[in-house]
Amino acid sequence: MIYLNNAATSYPKPESVIKAYTDALRSLPSGQFRSAGVSDNADSFSLCRQRLGRLMGIEKWDRIYFSSGSTEGLNALIAGLGIRADQVISTVTEHNSVLRPLYNLREDAGEPVLLHCNENGMVNPELFEAEAQQGRAKAVILNHCSNVTGAIQDIKAFGEIAKTYGLIFILDVSQSAGCMAIEADESNVDALAFTGHKSLMGVQGTGGYYVREGLELKPFKYGGTGLDSRKIRYDGTDYEYEPGTQNAPGIAALAEAANWILEQGIDKIRAKEKALSDRLIGGLSSMEQVKIYGSGLSERGPVVSFTVRDLAPSDLAYILQNSYGIVTRAGLHCAPLIHKFIGSGEKGTVRAGLSYFNTEEDIDALLTALKEIVSSIN
Amino acid sequence: MIVKIKDRRRSLEACTESGWDAVDLLTEEPLSDEDIESLRKFEGSFLYLKQLKKPFFKIEGHNYVIKGVKGDPFFRFAVHRDHVDEIDKLVDMINRTDR
Repeated sequence: MIYLNNAATSYPKPESVIKAYTDALRSLPSGQFRSAGVSDNADSFSLCRQRLGRLMGIEKWDRIYFSSGSTEGLNALIAGLGIRADQVISTVTEHNSVLRPLYNLREDAGEPVLLHCNENGMVNPELFEAEAQQGRAKAVILNHCSNVTGAIQDIKAFGEIAKTYGLIFILDVSQSAGCMAIEADESNVDALAFTGHKSLMGVQGTGGYYVREGLELKPFKYGGTGLDSRKIRYDGTDYEYEPGTQNAPGIAALAEAANWILEQGIDKIRAKEKALSDRLIGGLSSMEQVKIYGSGLSERGPVVSFTVRDLAPSDLAYILQNSYGIVTRAGLHCAPLIHKFIGSGEKGTVRAGLSYFNTEEDIDALLTALKEIVSSIN
Repeated sequence: MIVKIKDRRRSLEACTESGWDAVDLLTEEPLSDEDIESLRKFEGSFLYLKQLKKPFFKIEGHNYVIKGVKGDPFFRFAVHRDHVDEIDKLVDMINRTDR
């Protein structure tokens, strides 16, 4: 089976990550403050935070908190910052892990302002500035890299505007962390959410969020933390953000995954994935019946969305998987609003999500299959 | 249809048929040309791409879609959420057909 669904979850993982996970399971558990802390895993949490800080350009890595993934991280940020939805500027490129909390977490909180994107999925920062100037918003939430078109937003521009107008800047790096440089501090990012199991090469059920020092975040989860069990009520200045036993083997794996990425080098990973997506787009462009979404992007993440004329995306993905053994994903990709703007409509697209472990042969196999499919329809 | 449906499982790609329910109907034997051609009796447009590495078929009715690949021991039945009962009707219809 050829796996081209890495934008959903990456596969395979580096061997060292698998080893780190199984080693953690075989070792005595880390205490996580709850016992004598007999295992070396007691340090893997800090190690993981440090490495993630390096990957995401965050100096205060101790302000990175673990969660089950981006979804929980975004919910924690959106709920915890105490902002009404109608005080938020976001975009039509967002994933449901941003849209659904905004529209559902609080009743009578109004609706966010959603900035439109162009046919490639790019959001013009000037639109953001025009909206920020209105003075109504307190925060902006931005998807760094579209999981549909691969469009990479200009986070430096967004960060400058957010800073100018005093908006909290929240960045969703689910698709970008681990496959491209993220300069969070330099871009005035106040908070971000990340997931461990996509380009960060960790396991499902890991991820987290960052919130800068000085930004008040009220948790929406409370429980045991292994620190001062006598404290039942927090006074608002001493919240703890990792209640409950954390996914220690997952965090150990994520620590190793971050190390693997640092050792490979982000630039090298980016270059390889770019070469693969360029190869794919080059081949798709030669097929007149194929439409590529985001074809006008000068740079993109490792995601390529396309459709074949006269064939529903769900059928195309079904054929690719069951007739040709190539795994992709079809549909709206949990980003329901972008499709109107990029022209993919109600049925969405077929998406190839590439990883560092994909090969030219994988791309060529997909192109060969598509040529046969297109030919059979004609 | 010659082959009987022996079981069903929830489609692992429910999101692909966004807003619809989909199940995979597991067959006793891999699907043959005869099995696929016999599905023409179900109301809707019929598509059969025989030239593919493993030929793909699809029947699209008003509230349902049946699709699969020749040689697989299952095919997919997607139905609009308001018509979930159509799944049982389809299974009955297939299993009652002369063999």
